[in-house]
Amino acid sequence: MPQPLPSKESSLFRQVVKFYESKQYKKGLKSADQILKKHPNHGDTQAMKALILNSQGHGEEAFALGKLALKNDMKSHVCWHVYGLLWRSVKNYEEAVKAYKFALRIEPESQNILRDLALLQCQIRDFEGYIESRQKILNARPQLRQNWTGLAIAYHLAGNYKQAEHILVTYEETLKQAPSKTDLEHSEAVLYKNTIIAESGDTERALNHLQEIMKANLDKTAVLELKAKYLLQLDRKEEAAKTYRALLARNSEYRVYYNGLEKALDLDRSNDESIPKLQALYEEFASKNERNDAARRIPLDFLKGDAFKTAADQYLRRKLNKGVPSTFPNIKALYADAEKKAIIEDLVLGYASEKSLNGSAEGKAHEETSSQFEDSVLYFLAQHYTYVRSRNLEKAMEYIERLIEKNPKSVDYNQIKARIWKHYGDTQKAADTINHARELDLKDRYINTKCAKYQLRNNENEKALDTMSKFTRNETVGGPLGDLHDMQCMWYLLEDGEAYMRQNNIGLALKRFTAVADIFEVWQEDQFDFHSFSLRKGQIRAYIDMIRWQDHLRDHPFFTRAALSAIKLYMRLYDNPDLAKGSSVDLANLEPAERKKALKKIQKEQEKVKKAEADRKAAAAAKATAKGDDGEVKKEDTDPKGEKLLETKEPLEVAMRFLTPLLELSPRHIEGQDLGFQVHLRRGKPLLALKCLQAAKQLDPTHPSVHENAILLRHHLNNLKEPLPTPVAESLKESFTEPPSSASSTSALQTLNDDFIKTHASSGSVAHLQTAYDTRYRLDAATKSQNEDDLLKTLDLDAISLKEAADGLELLKGWKSDAKVLDKYREKAAAKWEVATVFAKE
Amino acid sequence: MDIRVLRPEDIPHVQLANITNLPENYFCKYYLYHAMSWPQLSYVAVDVSRPPKTPYDPPKIVGYVLAKMEEEPTDGVAHGHITSLSVMRTHRRLGLAEKLMRQSQRAMLQTFSAHYVSLHVRVSNTAALHLYRDTLGFTVDKIEASYYADNEDAYSMRMELSNLKDELRELENAAEDGVWGAAGGGVVGSEGKDEGDAVGSEGQKAADEGGAGADLRKVKVGRGLGVGELVERSEVAGAA
Repeated sequence: MPQPLPSKESSLFRQVVKFYESKQYKKGLKSADQILKKHPNHGDTQAMKALILNSQGHGEEAFALGKLALKNDMKSHVCWHVYGLLWRSVKNYEEAVKAYKFALRIEPESQNILRDLALLQCQIRDFEGYIESRQKILNARPQLRQNWTGLAIAYHLAGNYKQAEHILVTYEETLKQAPSKTDLEHSEAVLYKNTIIAESGDTERALNHLQEIMKANLDKTAVLELKAKYLLQLDRKEEAAKTYRALLARNSEYRVYYNGLEKALDLDRSNDESIPKLQALYEEFASKNERNDAARRIPLDFLKGDAFKTAADQYLRRKLNKGVPSTFPNIKALYADAEKKAIIEDLVLGYASEKSLNGSAEGKAHEETSSQFEDSVLYFLAQHYTYVRSRNLEKAMEYIERLIEKNPKSVDYNQIKARIWKHYGDTQKAADTINHARELDLKDRYINTKCAKYQLRNNENEKALDTMSKFTRNETVGGPLGDLHDMQCMWYLLEDGEAYMRQNNIGLALKRFTAVADIFEVWQEDQFDFHSFSLRKGQIRAYIDMIRWQDHLRDHPFFTRAALSAIKLYMRLYDNPDLAKGSSVDLANLEPAERKKALKKIQKEQEKVKKAEADRKAAAAAKATAKGDDGEVKKEDTDPKGEKLLETKEPLEVAMRFLTPLLELSPRHIEGQDLGFQVHLRRGKPLLALKCLQAAKQLDPTHPSVHENAILLRHHLNNLKEPLPTPVAESLKESFTEPPSSASSTSALQTLNDDFIKTHASSGSVAHLQTAYDTRYRLDAATKSQNEDDLLKTLDLDAISLKEAADGLELLKGWKSDAKVLDKYREKAAAKWEVATVFAKE
Repeated sequence: MDIRVLRPEDIPHVQLANITNLPENYFCKYYLYHAMSWPQLSYVAVDVSRPPKTPYDPPKIVGYVLAKMEEEPTDGVAHGHITSLSVMRTHRRLGLAEKLMRQSQRAMLQTFSAHYVSLHVRVSNTAALHLYRDTLGFTVDKIEASYYADNEDAYSMRMELSNLKDELRELENAAEDGVWGAAGGGVVGSEGKDEGDAVGSEGQKAADEGGAGADLRKVKVGRGLGVGELVERSEVAGAA
C-alpha cells in the first residue's frame, strides 16, 4: 500500500503527476519538494521526482532516488512502476518488465501498468507474455475493438493463426449491424483476418473469404493483388490471368504482375516454345500504352540472338531519341550476358556512325531530335565504357570530352567525367571534376551530394562537410555534422568513417561507425510507439509488415558496411594496442628506442590537446546543455573525436555489438563469416570460429578465406598453450577435419599452403595468391621477404584489378613491411595505373 | 523501374533518396508515421534491373512519393497532401514522378475518399511546377509568402479528385470486369486512357520532373514532433 498523505499533500501529489504528464518539470519538482519537506521518506513522491529528474536528463540521480523510493515503500505499485519506467528509458527492457510485473502484483487492475508491460513485451518479442497481457486488457474493456485486434495480433505474431482468427471472428460476431462502407478500421480488420487465413496455409478458404469481402473493401489494390496470388496458388489460372490483367490495367509498371500473368498463362522464359507467345504478350501491353516502359524492357531479358537484337534496337532508339538519361543504367544488367553486351555495343556504335540517319528507325526526324539523339548516343557510350563489364576508360573519356566540348555546362556530362577519373583511381581529379559539376548547378542537392561523396573518397573530410553544409540545417546543435546525424544520413557517416579509416584516424572512424549502429538502435526503438498507435489507426497489415521488417532490420547493407569496417578496426586495436594512443604511424614498425620516443611525443601532444579540450568543455559546461541556434536542446557529445572509443580495454567484446547482428541476420555474407572467424579465434573460441569457417565454406568452398582460415584454425589448435576443455576438443575433433589433425606441424600446413599457391599460380587468381602469401606469413613470419617478393609479382598478372592491387598494398601494411618495400610496390603499381592516387608517392 | 506501394523496409532507401535530392529531410520515424497511418498512399519507383551485389540487397529506390491525409483539415473537407516527392537525377524523363503521383491519388480517392490533394512547391522550382500544373492538372490555390525556412515563397497547389473519380467510374474498363466477383465491377477503372493522352508533353519535358519539392514546415513536424506527440503520453501509474 502506498504511504498515506494528509489531504493537502495528497492534492499536491496529484499536481506532481499532472505536471509530469504535461512536461512542466520545474513546477513538478517544486511541488514534489514541498511534499518531501514534510514527508521526506514518502516513496511515491520520491518516485515521481525521480521520473521528472530522468526526463530532465539527470539519469543517475533519478535511478538513485528511484531505488530509495522503493526502499521506503516496497509495497507501492507507483514505486515499482516508476522503477520500470526508469529501466525502460535506458532500454533495459528485461529489468523494466520485471519491475512492471512487481507493480502489477500489487495493483493487478491497473490498466496503465498493464499497457506499459504489454507494449514492452511486444517490443522484446515476448509473445507468450504479450498474449497474457493482451488478454487481461481485453477482459477489462471488451467493448473496444482495438483490444480484440490487439489480442489477435499477439496470437498472430506468436504463430497461433487459429486463435488469432478466432479472436477476430468472435468480435465480428458481436457486431449488431454491418459497419458503414467507409469504416476503414473494419475494412482493414477483415483484410487482416484474410491474410491470417492465408498465412495459416488455407488458401482456398482465404480466397473464399476474400470473395465475400472484396467488393466492399477500401484497399482496392491490395484485394486484387491477394486475389490474383491466391488464384495462382490454387492453380485457377484462367481467373488468375484475368485478375493480373486487371492489376496491370491499374499499374503497368510492376513486374510482380507480369510475372504472375506469365505463370497464369503457363509461359516459361526458359522454354523456347514460350518465347514467341511471351513476345506477343508484351507487344500487346506495349501497344496499349505509349508510355509504358516495363512491357518494352522485359522482353530484353528473355529474348536471344536476332530477336534480341531487333528488340534492343527498337528499345534503344526509342529511349535515345527521347534523350532519357537513364537509358544505360536501365539496360546494363543485360551485360551479364556477354552476347547481349556485344550486340548492344555494336548497335550503339552503329548509331554513332549513322548520325545522319538521326536515330529514327524510319530515318525521318528533324534536326533538333537528330542532335539530341547524337548526344544521347555519345552519352550512352561514355557510360558503357565506364561500366565495369565493358570498361575502356580511354574511350569513355574520349566520348565524354566530345560531349563536354559541345555543352560544357552540362552537370550530367561532367559527373560522368568525374566517374571516369574515379575508375582511373585518380580520386583527386574525380573530386575536382565533380566539384566543377556542382558549381554548374548550385541549387541541385543531388550533384552536391555526389560531390561530397567524391571528396570523401579523396579523404577530404572537412571539405566534404563544407559541401554538405550547403544544404544542411546549420543552426542545429553540432552544426552541419549534427544535422547529418539527426537526419540519419547514413551514407555520409559511412563514407566519412571509411575516409578516416583510410587515413588511420581510427578514433573518428569508429566514431562514425558507432553512430551508424546507434541510428539502427534508434530505428529499432522507433517501432515502440506504433505498438499502440497502429491499433488506434487500424492499419494492422502495415503494422505487421513493419514488425517483420524490424526483426531483420540490421541485415541492411548500411549496417553491414559499418560492421565490417568497425570489426576490422577493433581487431587492429586488439592486435596493436599502441594504436589507441592515437598515432597515425604504425609504432610497431619502429625500433624500440624510436618507438619510445615517438610515444612520448604523442603523449605530449595529446596532453596539450586534452587541456585545450578541457578548457573548451568547461566553457561549454557553463551552458550545461548544448543549445542550437534553433533553440533545440541536446546533450553535448563528450567524445567528439572518438578517443574514448579507442581507449576500450576490450576491443573484441565491443566488436561483438557489430558482429552478433552481422552473423545472425546476414549469415550469407561471406566477408562477415570471415571476420567472425578472425574475431572468435582471437577471443579463444575455436568452436565459434569453426562455425563461421563452415558457414563460409558452405557459401563458397573456393573463397580464399576458406583456405586461409582452415589452415589458421589448425595452426591455432596445434599450438595451444593450454589444452581445451574436453567437450570442446571432442567437438572440434569430430567436425573439423580439413586440414586433418594429422597436419599437426607447421611444416605440414606449409606444404598444404604451398600446394595451394601452385594451383593458383597457374589459375592466376590474384585474390587466392594474396591470401596464400598471407597464410604463409602467418604460419611463419620469417617468410616475410619471400611473401613481399611474391606479392610484387602479382602485379604482373594480367587479371589483376586496381582494387586487388590496392588490397595487396594493405596486405603489406598488415605485414608491417618496410617503407622501402611499400614504395617499391607502389612504384610498380603506379606504372600500371599511372594516375591512381592510392599508388602515388606518400 | 517498378512502381509499387511503399513498404516499411523501403524506408532506409527512401530516406536516402530524399536526403540525396532534397533539402527537406525527415528521420525514419516520420516515414514510419506515414507508412503506418496511410500505408496505401505512398509509392516508390524501384530499379529492379540492377545486378545484385550481396545476398541482402535492399530495393534500390530511385523515386518516391510520400503522401498523407490531412489529419484535421481546416476546411473540414477530407483531402490528401503530398509530403515529399522526388526522383533521382539519373532517372529523370521516364515519367516516374507522374506515375507515382497517379497511383497515390487514386488511393487517396478510393481508400480515404479524398476530395482533393494539396501540396506546396517553391516558386523557383519551375520543373516541379511544370509537372504539377501542366502534366498532372494541379492549380495554384494561393501563394504563401516566406513559407520556406530560407524565406522563399511557396505555391500552395491543389487538384480536385472529382475528375479522377468520374474517370474511374466512366472508364470502368473491361479489364476489371468480373474480377470483383459479381458482374459489373466496382468503382474502379483503368487509367489507361488518361495515361495515353495526358502525357503528350514528353517532348517538352526536357525540364524533367525530378526534384519536385516538399514543404519545409513539415520538416518541423518531422524533426520536432514526429509521432511521439500523436501517441498517448507515457503516463505514470494510476497514481492520481
